[in-house]
Amino acid sequence: MCTPVKGRGRVRLNVGGRMFETTAATLASAGRDTMLGAMLDAAWNNSDCTVAADEEEYFIDRDPDCFAVLLDLLRTGSLHVPPHVTDRFLCREALYYGLLDAVRAARWGPLDGDRLCLAASVPGTATGDGTAVRAAPDGGLCVAHGGAVRVYNWVLEERRPVNLHHAPVNDAAYLDESTLLLAARDRPGGGGGVAAFSALTGDLTHRYRVSHDRQVRPFTPGALAFDPHRGNIFASCKGRFNEYGIGVWDSTAGEQVGFLYEPPGCALGDADKLQWIDGTGTLMAATMFPRTDSSFISLLDFRDKNGVAWSWSDVGTPASSMEDKHVLHAVAMDDGQSLCVINQYDDLGFLDIRSSGNASGGVRWRSRSKLAAATRKKQKRNAPPQRAHGEEETCYPKLAAHGGQLFASTGDAISVFSGPDYVLTSTLRGSDGAGAICDFSIGGDRLFALHDEVNVVDVWETPPAPVI
Amino acid sequence: MSSQKKRPPRIEPFRHKVETDPKFFDKGWRKLDDAIREIYNHNASGLSFEELYRTAYNLIIHKHGAKLYDKLTENMEEHMQEMHASIEAAQGGLFLEELQRKWDDHNKALQMIRDILMYMDRCFIPNNNKTPVFDLGLDLWRDNIVQSPKVHGRLIDTLIDLIHRERTGEVINRSLMRSTTKMLTDLGSSVYEEDFEKHFLVMSASFYSGESQRLIECCSCGEYLKKAQQRLDEEAERVSQYMDAKTDEKITAVVVEEMLTNYMQRLILMENSGLVNMLVEDRYEDLTMMYSLFQRVPDGHSTIKSVMNSHVKETGKDMVTDPERMKDPIDFVQRLLNEKDKYDSIVTTSFSNDKSFQNALNSSFEHFINLNNRCPEFISLYVDDKLRKGTKEANEEDVETVLDKVMMLFRYLQEKDLFEKYYKQHLAKRLLSGKAASDDSERSMLVKLKTECGYQFTSKLEGMFNDLKTSHDTTVRFYAATSDLGDAPTISVQILTTGSWPTQSCNTCNLPPEILGVSEMFRSFYLGTHNGRRLTWQTNMGTADIKAVFGNGSKHELNVSTYQMCVLMLFNSTDCLSYRDIEQTTAIPAADLKRCLQSLALVKGKNVLRKEPMSRDISDDDNFYVNDKFTSKLIKVKIGTVAPQKETEPEKMETRQRVEEDRKPQIEAAIVRIMKSRRVLDHNSIVTEVTKQLQPRFMPNPVVIKKRVESLIEREFLERDKTDRKMYRYLA
Repeated sequence: MCTPVKGRGRVRLNVGGRMFETTAATLASAGRDTMLGAMLDAAWNNSDCTVAADEEEYFIDRDPDCFAVLLDLLRTGSLHVPPHVTDRFLCREALYYGLLDAVRAARWGPLDGDRLCLAASVPGTATGDGTAVRAAPDGGLCVAHGGAVRVYNWVLEERRPVNLHHAPVNDAAYLDESTLLLAARDRPGGGGGVAAFSALTGDLTHRYRVSHDRQVRPFTPGALAFDPHRGNIFASCKGRFNEYGIGVWDSTAGEQVGFLYEPPGCALGDADKLQWIDGTGTLMAATMFPRTDSSFISLLDFRDKNGVAWSWSDVGTPASSMEDKHVLHAVAMDDGQSLCVINQYDDLGFLDIRSSGNASGGVRWRSRSKLAAATRKKQKRNAPPQRAHGEEETCYPKLAAHGGQLFASTGDAISVFSGPDYVLTSTLRGSDGAGAICDFSIGGDRLFALHDEVNVVDVWETPPAPVI
Repeated sequence: MSSQKKRPPRIEPFRHKVETDPKFFDKGWRKLDDAIREIYNHNASGLSFEELYRTAYNLIIHKHGAKLYDKLTENMEEHMQEMHASIEAAQGGLFLEELQRKWDDHNKALQMIRDILMYMDRCFIPNNNKTPVFDLGLDLWRDNIVQSPKVHGRLIDTLIDLIHRERTGEVINRSLMRSTTKMLTDLGSSVYEEDFEKHFLVMSASFYSGESQRLIECCSCGEYLKKAQQRLDEEAERVSQYMDAKTDEKITAVVVEEMLTNYMQRLILMENSGLVNMLVEDRYEDLTMMYSLFQRVPDGHSTIKSVMNSHVKETGKDMVTDPERMKDPIDFVQRLLNEKDKYDSIVTTSFSNDKSFQNALNSSFEHFINLNNRCPEFISLYVDDKLRKGTKEANEEDVETVLDKVMMLFRYLQEKDLFEKYYKQHLAKRLLSGKAASDDSERSMLVKLKTECGYQFTSKLEGMFNDLKTSHDTTVRFYAATSDLGDAPTISVQILTTGSWPTQSCNTCNLPPEILGVSEMFRSFYLGTHNGRRLTWQTNMGTADIKAVFGNGSKHELNVSTYQMCVLMLFNSTDCLSYRDIEQTTAIPAADLKRCLQSLALVKGKNVLRKEPMSRDISDDDNFYVNDKFTSKLIKVKIGTVAPQKETEPEKMETRQRVEEDRKPQIEAAIVRIMKSRRVLDHNSIVTEVTKQLQPRFMPNPVVIKKRVESLIEREFLERDKTDRKMYRYLA
């Protein structure tokens, strides 16, 4: 006994000759700042011509097939792309309607290390010298290759590469999806330093200077870190005149706001890794093998006068330990209570940063993780042992933490550890024969792994939640 | 039908495929240009959004973005010029309204223009570092309208003038003001600050500088403060009504600066209505206002505090040094308590219980109370008055609160040991004469003193209470053990431990034989049970109840002191005795005897003895008779002793001397304690340390400390350093 209701709130669209009928609410869900949202806005519909609401029809001069996909996206929030609609085509149409962000959000789900799938591989053009990969907040990425940084948007299209007078790049960091920070080595005659670029155009937007005694001095930045809440940029710096330490800049004003000269015994200027820890308001600075013979990790509090709030070093660790364990990489865990470190045998260790003062040698090493043995066995089976050995020499393991999970790159795979005790739950193994992973990065709910041998970047995504 | 771009075959080719058409851009732009004109003319109903969007899209993808952007800027500038002309033409009061109307138009149009050019906003502008369309529109409005020379000054003047009119009481169109300032904030916070707020603050400063000058001449302090508060409230309300919230702080600062900071001294010290006046007259409301207003002024509270302090010190000094007042110690202390109450309630109600004010008050009280060295005595007397039986029928809770207040005064005393001396005396009197009103109150006072000064301070006082209790038990046991007493008078003995009680000269008088017998029995009983003790009778402190039958047959029970009893008992055997006889037989010290005879013979209504000759004073040649004509309505007659409550001058001197004597060992003990731990110390440090240690009890005099040090050197506790004479060395 349904009485046909007059089409209140219903909208008829003629897209490229095909009729679509939907509700105003569905179209409005796209947002006011999209083409569809604006089209239906009162400002454009206050015509006093007396066309009956159900006779009204909007014409859009676009492809209907693609519109069908996008309308479906608005209706259901999920993306279903028929085989004949290519990615490029879909993106271009989405851009027309202003729905590109919605497409991106529907493409992959929130990052979960245990559900990652290899989504794409970005082939490298340069060979052998990819040093670092960084993920952008929107799912784009950049790869540092010697003196330049290749930039890709989230559709994995390459943009204009970025360089700072082609000086060798030590580190890169995204301030936001359109601003890329570069740390390049200082060379005689100038060229190095820290600079911000537009990730969209590749244009240099600002150079961050360091002054000592009110004089701008050249310096080589090592690692970069960013505190998004206060907008502070940090870089480990080595000046030409032994001005070693951590430089701090205000990212909006672009001015230097501080410089923490390294105290004796703290190799801050050489730090290979900086990480801002939000929970404690401190900056982790880690200087590690092979740059130095002994590893040194400290937490720096810039509100404090003496700066170093906590530090750890493996200098003077009793040699009685059976093997000489070098800490090769470190990462602060999400909870802000501990650091995770990894050594050359791929053993994971943990450091408690809540206890103040020096925690010398206080690493809780996990017994030789099975992962190392498994990796090695697999490597022996899959690849000629010599090559595997060679890879291990150059590609040191890296660590990352995300969403309570711990990621470690070892050899040609990335291991995922989950749960409160960080149990090995998944192993990601990407493009075959691409060689060991020399760096990886997590951001924009994607994981990028840079392979050493052929410079390919594997892109890992979590597929959207299952339908049922 | 050749398409430049490679597209999947299913897609329809673009309609505007004629990219080579040299007029491609012009055609597209004309369409947009027309549309924008229609939008500004409120005539957008005929426009097709889709068509315009598509047109703009095509211009962008055919790389005409930069050209389009330039044209758009040019076009909007023209529209700005038109609007500028019509705003400029608006007369007087219509000016703001016209500006507002055009601003609304512009906003609406801008929104639609942005819709059309949404694709440009999204794809062209971020990649070319241009200002987004909407912001561009705002910037153009700012540059061409708000900051154009002909509008700019007029806008500021109009706004400032309206605010001035509102301040002087006129009603203005607040919603128009609100939307105008909103427009300025929309254009960027710097526009609001530079083009409005800055001028507003300058104008406000001059307005309030004038107003405060006018008010300070004709208003009392309270009125002035009320006006200032009112102005502050008004400004806060104004900001909340039609300004940016950030202005609140700034305009408040201006009003505070002009109305309060500049006149702070003058207001606080204003004659006949300033702070002192408010304090004297307990004007809580004005004080509250002063406190809250001067909170905003740097040094405001400290100025109030210091003025209040000096006032309290001054009035307090007058109070404690006025010789008239000292005649009545109870009233003297009561006045101090009232003063303290008064200021406490001012701090509580008006100064929001500010800790620093409380501290300031305490320090001033401490200052002036110690100006009079009789205060410890008076305070003890006051307590005595409150705890004595029969003076006032106050319940225990009231007494408790009074005691608490007294403790406050006690805390201010520097010579707490002096208080202890007097308190001990007064307590002893109360206890021995059985006049303590309530045991609980006495004990609670002890607890208070104990918490304040520690165990040592009250141990002796507690000993006094214990003595009384054991005495009672002993008396009971004495009567239980002794049966052959016959009809000897009943005695009740208070055994006082030497040292716990205030030492009195113990001139034992000769007791009447009846009493002597019993007391000797008691002595042997007591010494029999307690080995190695010595018992001395303190006859000057006892009391006695005696039955007397007078010549006229009237029977009375007389409550007298032990001395009086001794005298009266003599008259059992004779009718007339001379003063010398009495003195000889009883061996009562002359001063006491005279006092006791005075109360027996000279107090009207209680004169059980008759003196000859009749005169006011007792002289050595007087004769005494039993007053046969003695009558009284009461059966029980209490014959008091003429005893001065307050200490006489020589007594005072004596007490002081005793206190000074007592201090010596304390100072020495402190010196030895300090030197024992420090080994070597110079003179000045010793003085400081000793003062610090003894402060809770009294303020030691440096001269006395020096003497004690010398005495200790003599007794070889310390020695002077051989090289540096200022240094002392501890000798173990």
